[in-house]
Amino acid sequence: MSSDPKLVLTRAFGLRIALWYATLFVIGAIAIVFVTYYLTKVSLEQRDHQILQSKLGDYASVYARGGFNTLAAMVRAEQQTAPERLFVRVVSRGVEAVVLSNPNGWDPSKIETATVPLSDGTLVQVGKSTEPREDLLARFRAALGLVTLLVVVIALSGGWLVTQSAVTPIRRLTAAVRRIIRTGRTDARVPVAGTRGSPGNNDAIGELTELFNVMLDKIEGVVAAMRGALDNVSHDLRTPLTRLRGTAELALASPPDLERYREALALCVEESDRVLVMLNTLMDISEAESGTMQLRREPVPLSEVVERAVDLYKDVADVKGVTLSVQSSPVASGSSRTSTPVASGFSRTGGDTDVVVNGDRTRLEQVAANLIDNAVKYTPSGGRVAVEVRRENGNAVLRVRDTGPGIPPDELPRIWTRLFRGDASRAERGLGLGLSLVKAIVEAHGGTVAVESEPGQGSVFTVLLPLG
Amino acid sequence: MISCRHGYDADVRALLVEDDPTIAEFVARGLREAGFAVDHAPDGEAGLTAAVATPYDVAIIDLMLPKRDGLSLIEELRRRGITTPVLILSARREIDDRVRGLQTGGDDYLTKPFAFAELLARVQALVRRATRAPEPTTLTVDDLTLDLLTRRVTRAGKPIDLRPREFALLEYLMRNAGRVVSKTMILSHVWEYNFDPQTNIVDVLVSRLREKIDRPFEKKLLHTVRGVGYVLRP
Repeated sequence: MSSDPKLVLTRAFGLRIALWYATLFVIGAIAIVFVTYYLTKVSLEQRDHQILQSKLGDYASVYARGGFNTLAAMVRAEQQTAPERLFVRVVSRGVEAVVLSNPNGWDPSKIETATVPLSDGTLVQVGKSTEPREDLLARFRAALGLVTLLVVVIALSGGWLVTQSAVTPIRRLTAAVRRIIRTGRTDARVPVAGTRGSPGNNDAIGELTELFNVMLDKIEGVVAAMRGALDNVSHDLRTPLTRLRGTAELALASPPDLERYREALALCVEESDRVLVMLNTLMDISEAESGTMQLRREPVPLSEVVERAVDLYKDVADVKGVTLSVQSSPVASGSSRTSTPVASGFSRTGGDTDVVVNGDRTRLEQVAANLIDNAVKYTPSGGRVAVEVRRENGNAVLRVRDTGPGIPPDELPRIWTRLFRGDASRAERGLGLGLSLVKAIVEAHGGTVAVESEPGQGSVFTVLLPLG
Repeated sequence: MISCRHGYDADVRALLVEDDPTIAEFVARGLREAGFAVDHAPDGEAGLTAAVATPYDVAIIDLMLPKRDGLSLIEELRRRGITTPVLILSARREIDDRVRGLQTGGDDYLTKPFAFAELLARVQALVRRATRAPEPTTLTVDDLTLDLLTRRVTRAGKPIDLRPREFALLEYLMRNAGRVVSKTMILSHVWEYNFDPQTNIVDVLVSRLREKIDRPFEKKLLHTVRGVGYVLRP
């Protein structure tokens, strides 16, 4: 890891954050220590000062009542027994100062004194050693220094830990991005730190990581779809191209015969048309499946779509002897359903009761046309194909029923698959792409497709689309 | 009266700007057989030089060209006030490209691969539009007559009763009499559907029409050209 020069960036970033964190923490701690020390010192000084002042008051009143001798006697008696002996002296005017108490070993420079002048001009002076106080403060300073040192250590290591836990997901994200760029593999994912980090990982970086993974999912999906489409197209085109080539080759290898040549050329043109249709349809399917199909959305009444598709197929149905009809019941009440044979005209469901979806008109026409094509193709003469447009549970529904042979249950799930052709359908002309295109277009519109079928009874294809 | 193929003199001049030699050859040959005088330019610059030097009646311009692409060529022609109708050829089928091509000054758009029949029909439509030939009210092919105003169809004087789609198909075939029209062309003109249905819808309509206009008569007018489409000719 450390050999990677690009990691220095995130390393430096982490270190910087750790240092900032530690510095601020230490500055805060030192400020607290200083304030504490100062307040303690001041309050100790005040206490000493108060002691001296109250003693002075006592002594002044004794002197005032009994004069110098009483005071001297009292001070001597008191200082013999006092736990902390004070320095006391009396200075009268014109008289030598009389020291009443002077504890041994006292350094005069370490004495704090207080003085009170009496009415006759005499001064009474009391002194107290500052040594115990200094002692206490010195020990306090030592303790505070130790605490500060601890704070610095904690700040540095804590800062490092906190930064590590903050930077690790970023680092993981960076490493994943780098891996993806280097290998081109989009199946790599960034592990989401949630197991030991914050629960629910709804913090900013967790969210970023998840979004990044979602983005990778999407990219992977698109890439896979495109790769799949390319594979499919190249695979699916091989068969018709083989036919094309084979026809031409066979004609060239045979003895010259104008009729035979014409036949072969006609087959080639038909085959290349089929290749083109197939290519366009495959492109449509993969565009719709990968979400890159451009849908020109507008409000489209489904009945108009069905009307046009039915119009396209009515002749074919006629010729085949299949009855193609439209049932329109815009409101989902089964009893009011009307059935209109196409030959006598299509009764359009009017105005605001119409089933309108927000979609691409041409694409929806393709859906309807393909479903009707499918139904008409597989319904034998004398059968019926009924197209129905209605509203159901807040959805627009397009339903195509036929009385064809039905689909065997084992084939049902596969009919939407590209180029799948059931046993019954092999005899029919077609590309095997119609239903896949229907499914892809409907799903690109946010809808769903479904099929129910009973062998021997017919099939019902249902398209559900969100109402527009 | 619409006659087969010789509706235009050899004086109708077409410019073909296409870099693929095979495509250029079959388009040029087809147009010459249809009575056009065709000049071919293999790149955009040559196309511009030719179009500036000669007043063409129609130009067929591929979009992907060496030296100067098709869109820029059309733009330059229009900038210089040259109003020759332009049919754009392109290998891309996106609607946006089509819109851009037409906005730049193209008059029609055809996606590769195309049927030559369709290219010819479009080129002739452009020439017709430009020369503003008077719209006929009656179309006649041999003894078959279609009156566009009364919507009456007769053959050898006998009235023929057609359903609306059959009438539309016959009108389209008669307007293109002598020219092969493809199934795709019929589908987009008669039904205005621009995708390929999987079933032979066009075959069904054509055989219905044939039943009415040809079957009772000895001389057949509506012919199938295998692999290409249909043609109405005397």
